[in-house]
Amino acid sequence: MCWHSPLEPSNRHQGARAGRFDGVGNWLLETSEFREWRYSEGGAGKAVLFCSGNPGVGKTYLR
Amino acid sequence: MPLTARNIGSLVIDSLCDRAQEDNFAVIGLYCDFLSQQEQTTTNIMGALLKQLVVRGGIPDHLRAAFEKGKEEFGGRGPRLADLMGMLKTVIASLRQVFICLDGLGECLPKRLLEVLESLRDILRESPGTRIFLTGRPHVGEDVQRYFSRAVVIPISPNPNDIQNYVEMRLDRDSEPEAMSNDLRVDIVRVILEKISNV
Repeated sequence: MCWHSPLEPSNRHQGARAGRFDGVGNWLLETSEFREWRYSEGGAGKAVLFCSGNPGVGKTYLR
Repeated sequence: MPLTARNIGSLVIDSLCDRAQEDNFAVIGLYCDFLSQQEQTTTNIMGALLKQLVVRGGIPDHLRAAFEKGKEEFGGRGPRLADLMGMLKTVIASLRQVFICLDGLGECLPKRLLEVLESLRDILRESPGTRIFLTGRPHVGEDVQRYFSRAVVIPISPNPNDIQNYVEMRLDRDSEPEAMSNDLRVDIVRVILEKISNV
């Protein structure tokens, strides 16, 4: 099955999920922006959601 | 560290997948990675998305057959981006709704990022119901908005509740709990939250 791509995103997802701390970030799922994006089925108006953040957000202070 | 946009990406993918099966949505996605910059070409990224849809099942037989035939024709040479995109757009159009999640856009090579965004825009033109979720550093936002002027941007910053939960979890896992008192614990959480609010 490697014809279309050598990339294996599901492995990477397992890693990211394992490193995640439960409950963190759940606020995002409750925002109106996310919900509108998630549940609007028509048109392309709300089609793209971009979460922007610096890579070290919070990291330096929590090690 | 659990507070980055990257973790938000995996959270969103999971929350979508939880309902995907019952609602007949397809959720596909990819984590961009500095370490894989060379192999994460636009063709490979779009190919990985297509492969996820085909493996998932639920696409019409003739499209699956075209996918298999393409594999034979191209053999080891690899497909052209235009061929892949044609197939990907057709497969997406055959499904009720597809969610595409690309995480860590800033980790693509800059010229690839633009190609990837252009490919996503192509998909959206053909299937306007498609939902695209992207994460990346703030500077990537300009590129995203160049291709998707109506993109909704959500800034991810340290959230005091998240941080408090995280610190308490780490304190709970302390290997020397006898060295901890309630007062010390309260102090640690308070000081860390104060420092963060001053950033």
